Amino acid sequence: MGRQAPPRGRGSYLYLAAGSGLAFAFALPLLWAVVRSLEPSVLATAAPQAADFTHMTVSNYTGLLGPAEDIGLNLANSVITALGTAALTVVASTLAGYGLSRFRFRGSGLAFGAILVALMIPFQAVLTPLFLELHFFHLLNSLLGLVLVYSTFNLPFGVFVMRNTFAEVPDELADSAHVDGAGPMATLVRVLRPLVVPGMATTAIYAFLYSWNEFLQALTFLTSDNLFTLPVKLFNVEIATYGAVNFGYLSAGVVIAMVPCVALYVALQRYYVRGLISGALKG
Amino acid sequence: MAQEVKERAQLVPSRRSPQQRAAARTGAWLTAPALVLVATFVLFPLGFAIYISLTDWPLVGPYHFVGFTNYANAFHDPQFVHAILFTLTYTGIVTGPIFVVGYGLAVLVRSNRPGAKFFRTVFFLPFVVGLTTVSYMFSLELQPSSGGVDFVLSKLGLVSASQAWTVNYGPALLAISVIVVWFASGLTMLVLMGGMQAVPDELYEAADADGASWWDKERLITLPLIRRPIALSLIISVIGSFLAFNQFFILVQNNSSLETVVEWVYQTAFNQYHLAYGTTMAVLLMVVIAVVSAAQFVLLRERSR
Repeated sequence: MGRQAPPRGRGSYLYLAAGSGLAFAFALPLLWAVVRSLEPSVLATAAPQAADFTHMTVSNYTGLLGPAEDIGLNLANSVITALGTAALTVVASTLAGYGLSRFRFRGSGLAFGAILVALMIPFQAVLTPLFLELHFFHLLNSLLGLVLVYSTFNLPFGVFVMRNTFAEVPDELADSAHVDGAGPMATLVRVLRPLVVPGMATTAIYAFLYSWNEFLQALTFLTSDNLFTLPVKLFNVEIATYGAVNFGYLSAGVVIAMVPCVALYVALQRYYVRGLISGALKG
Repeated sequence: MAQEVKERAQLVPSRRSPQQRAAARTGAWLTAPALVLVATFVLFPLGFAIYISLTDWPLVGPYHFVGFTNYANAFHDPQFVHAILFTLTYTGIVTGPIFVVGYGLAVLVRSNRPGAKFFRTVFFLPFVVGLTTVSYMFSLELQPSSGGVDFVLSKLGLVSASQAWTVNYGPALLAISVIVVWFASGLTMLVLMGGMQAVPDELYEAADADGASWWDKERLITLPLIRRPIALSLIISVIGSFLAFNQFFILVQNNSSLETVVEWVYQTAFNQYHLAYGTTMAVLLMVVIAVVSAAQFVLLRERSR
């Protein structure tokens, strides 16, 4: 539902010029971060110069991924945690969305209410009890523990999205599958799956990006260097836990952290924005 | 006879067919994994947090029940009170600009004009990159002399080339506020844009026929019809500011005048090992956020009615 037919002529060029200028200003810090990361480490501590563009290098990346910092391990931790979080969130949200929207059972109102309450509780408010709980379960300093907690805090949104998604599927479709003798799971996998994939994609993107960018819980729940996710590792690079701070390494780390988010968003923008509108506005 | 059966069925709704009971079991099983996770990692900790805040729980070792001592102490603790006031100040500073910039961007990208979709993508990019990465990025660019911010602003003659941004209260709060407005206005833009695009075109066409100016249309048609998206975007932004942590923790070191509520919780519980005392603030935060979220929920219900 667009507003007003696109005008032609001078107004349209003016719009493009103003929009482009503003878009450039918005993107500038991000573009600059990429240029910065390609400067030699020594120059990263000096004021920016036009000459910097003449000796671009990938030495910050090779240094950061090399044995001195070995950020490759932390990158792997981040990827594992983000994929694990996305997978668990999608599976649990899809099942719950299916159960809540297409089956009537006693306590379903209560179950939905509990999930609603969870939507209102920020993890920051339960950081200390979560710490003690993870300690009790031996899930402190563990990527599995992180995946479980991240998934849980993504679930309320995921269940909302999936419940709405299943509610939009025509009843006749699931019913006819049922008449054909398919059980609930067979109906879900064979008949409903293609129709609810967009909702699953929305849920997965949010969970992945949440996990990829999350800092405070990873900082609190992880204590070993070899389990740190990228954001926690970069904090150690920034405050230079092990010697002098290397601005070049930090700038390369920023780009490594940034690229997956931008790529995922640009590729799957449709699902991202859809989730935002349906999740935030329709509830 | 048939009438009687129908009445009985209405009177005893709990007597269900085996198929219905099987379906009910299936529904319950499907919802169970999500419910177990939420109960374990949200609902239980919720009650547990309140309990911890009534004890002297250290990070390790035995604990005792101390009643409301932690709460009483907290309100006489200058750093506790300062963290609350600072977080409120910060929220007061950024909420307005995020809304105004977000609204302006939404006006720019709400149409189907060529380029609108691309601009939308770019304006939302900072939010997608995430506040953690953005903070690291600016930890480099806010460095005196070598950072890009000093480079640009000194060329414009606004500051000296060696302005330090993240050391003192004023410059740090200014720099972080500007970064956050840049970071978060894309989110406000998308929420408002959703509302604006739902306003029927006919209203604007009718106003055009009456010779209404752009500002008249904005004020008399758009604003009243997107009241709820406006309220939602403000609530989302206020909650985000109340929970501020990353940007201050990453960009500012060793300056307690710039300590937010969540930073206070983290430092108290996990750096000074006063787990119970740290939890008192978390419980207060929970109450405040719950009230704000409940307001959001009421708005959502009104919308769907």
